[in-house]
Amino acid sequence: MSVGAKTTPALGPQTIRQHAASQKQGLAHVSHLSEILSFENESNDVIGALLKELAVPHRRTERWKYSPIAGFWKKHKPATCVTIADSNCEAQPVPGLDAYRLVFVNGTFDPLASDLPIAAGVVCMPLSDAVRSGIVQREISSVEKSEWFAALNGQFAGEGMYLAVEKAVELDRPVLIHQRQQGAGVPTFLRHVIELGAQSQAQVVNWSSASSDASGSVNTLTEVHVGEQAVFTLDKVQDESGEVHHLAFEAVDQAANSTFKIHTMTIQGAWVRNDLQICLSGQGCDAHLNGIFLPTAKEFVDNHTTVDHREAHCTSSESYKGILYGQSTGVFNGKVFVRPDAQQTNAYQQNANILGSRQATMNAKPELEIYADDVKCSHGCTIGQFDDEALFYARSRGIGEDEAKAMLVHAFIGDVIESIAIPEVAMEVRHRLSEKHNWDRWDDANLL
Amino acid sequence: MLTINKLKASIGDSEILKGLDLTIGPGEVHAIMGPNGSGKSTLASVLAGREDYAVTGGKVDFLGMELLEMDATARARSGLFLAFQYPVEIPGVSNINFMRAALNGKRAHEGLEPIAGKAFLELVKEKASLVELDGRLRNRSVNEGFSGGEKKRNEIFQMAMLEPKLAVLDETDSGLDIDALRIVANGVNSMRSPERSFLVITHYQRLLDYIVPDFVHVLVDGRIVRTGGKELALELEERGYDWIKEAVTS
Ligand SMILES: Nc1ncnc2c1ncn2[C@@H]1O[C@H](COP(=O)(O)OP(=O)(O)O)[C@@H](O)[C@H]1O
Ligand SMILES: [Mg+2]
Repeated sequence: MSVGAKTTPALGPQTIRQHAASQKQGLAHVSHLSEILSFENESNDVIGALLKELAVPHRRTERWKYSPIAGFWKKHKPATCVTIADSNCEAQPVPGLDAYRLVFVNGTFDPLASDLPIAAGVVCMPLSDAVRSGIVQREISSVEKSEWFAALNGQFAGEGMYLAVEKAVELDRPVLIHQRQQGAGVPTFLRHVIELGAQSQAQVVNWSSASSDASGSVNTLTEVHVGEQAVFTLDKVQDESGEVHHLAFEAVDQAANSTFKIHTMTIQGAWVRNDLQICLSGQGCDAHLNGIFLPTAKEFVDNHTTVDHREAHCTSSESYKGILYGQSTGVFNGKVFVRPDAQQTNAYQQNANILGSRQATMNAKPELEIYADDVKCSHGCTIGQFDDEALFYARSRGIGEDEAKAMLVHAFIGDVIESIAIPEVAMEVRHRLSEKHNWDRWDDANLL
Repeated sequence: MLTINKLKASIGDSEILKGLDLTIGPGEVHAIMGPNGSGKSTLASVLAGREDYAVTGGKVDFLGMELLEMDATARARSGLFLAFQYPVEIPGVSNINFMRAALNGKRAHEGLEPIAGKAFLELVKEKASLVELDGRLRNRSVNEGFSGGEKKRNEIFQMAMLEPKLAVLDETDSGLDIDALRIVANGVNSMRSPERSFLVITHYQRLLDYIVPDFVHVLVDGRIVRTGGKELALELEERGYDWIKEAVTS
């Protein structure tokens, strides 16, 4: 599923020296992880070689230019808490949601807190079980071959969710993955593998939470194959207190006439990087990518997305919206490739941002590379401020400034949240955002 | 109700209001007329609390309060209403939720609980019928895609919902056809009462056939240069503004 179509530019002597230096530093910094994680990976040698070969991201790496990764080199410590019972947190973060559940605490599967689906045509279990019983074979995926942090995941991730839905089977309830980060300095690596057979349907919610004293890092790699005519939705909610460095890769491969919808909603997180790569490798695919992020204080949120139109008659529709408060920083990079064979592509990308304070920063870069001629591609990227005219109008009607701003915020991101297919998730996202931002309430959409 | 004393205001380097005096008593309807660019909208904006204008002198007393010391929200909650010359579109915020927030803001200021959903909807229905505001428009985003006339009617609807003590109407007649003008004027007239005052800003006399003022003031170059009864409006209609300008400068 490798997506990078461009060739690497030749390295100058200066860059090579830096590369070597950061390489050494990167490997030195993670060498202690094998002691902490005590996980023996069979493909250690191959991955080990990749880790030596691939460039460790640093400030001069284009894809990591705005993403300061120094936090990853902080000293990691083994987890002391591996069950939800020992954490201060509910197993099920979404009130009222009737869902299957897999709970991972600091990267360890918690069977007592989990509720696996048992249904004909559905295989769902911790990845370690699936590997042990030979249900999945370890393969090096293309994202591991191209991204150092993904390769690092390949080296150390021994757990995650394995979900396979057979042909024409519809999962009767969503599957909720709750990733909990608890305590200081824990390095967490998770790998989720999701395979949807032809014409099957499933919904997965990936909810990540963290304790207020949590630090360390989370590195999640999710690989998804959506079979022909299958429909898959993934709702990612990131609501992490503490100082966690969170890195998430999703590598999605869509077969012909399949539909994939993803929401990436970053409610809270000290440092968050989402790397979403969608490959439309059959004709007639439909992909929807939506995201919101509302960082405050010194939070950092980075969304890198790639949609690779490889075949004809596919549609992709992307909308990411950010509101940045305090001294927060946001990054959006949206690549859309339309390959020569991908005629009649319909690709839409929107990234709209509001700077809610003078100290906030947003770096946005749409990158469209179009090699087919019969296509419809449009994109828009805006960075603005709150609409002063609208604010004054609202205040002149007796609406308080904060409430007026909240109204404008709800109007701005409301359509993204309303497009979440699971109402309980949408509701809880509204609720958590309201708590974080001290909005009185956000029930307007439902009340009248 | 309202006493404006030597009000001066500027935007950037240019002084627009140059010492304006005006007193409005309870229940009175005052009209301000004047040529384009004379400062009518500036006066309305300064009264409503728009921060883009710097008040450089003078005092404004509103019901015993120092109006210029209050922020826009507080002024509105205390009973001041401005119908905008150019109402603002707010995509994604429904007209009705907007009004609910506004009304509850005022109620909170008065120490009242938020209005119940049902009572609110009934109130909306009643007030909307006053200006014949289509039901569809209530649920649409604030002013988004409204015609010029619909926007102006929406302003009067909002005024009716908020029941202000003093309403400033800035060129509410501009861009209205005769039917819409009548509807808007009826809406205003139905709200006239001994406790409620109006400041009607207009460029043309036409509106004053429908909303009959007690006093007419002429604003030229940031000052009120003449005050009279409703016949002054007719005189202006006939003779234009030039004779007043000349009378002032000579
Ligand atoms: N935002 C602004 N920046 C600069 N000048 C302004 C601004 N708004 C109004 N003015 C100027 O102030 C003067 C008065 O404008 P305004 O109050 O809108 O007049 P009126 O409503 O009587 O037509 C005009 O000369 C106008 O050009
Ligand atoms: Mg004007």
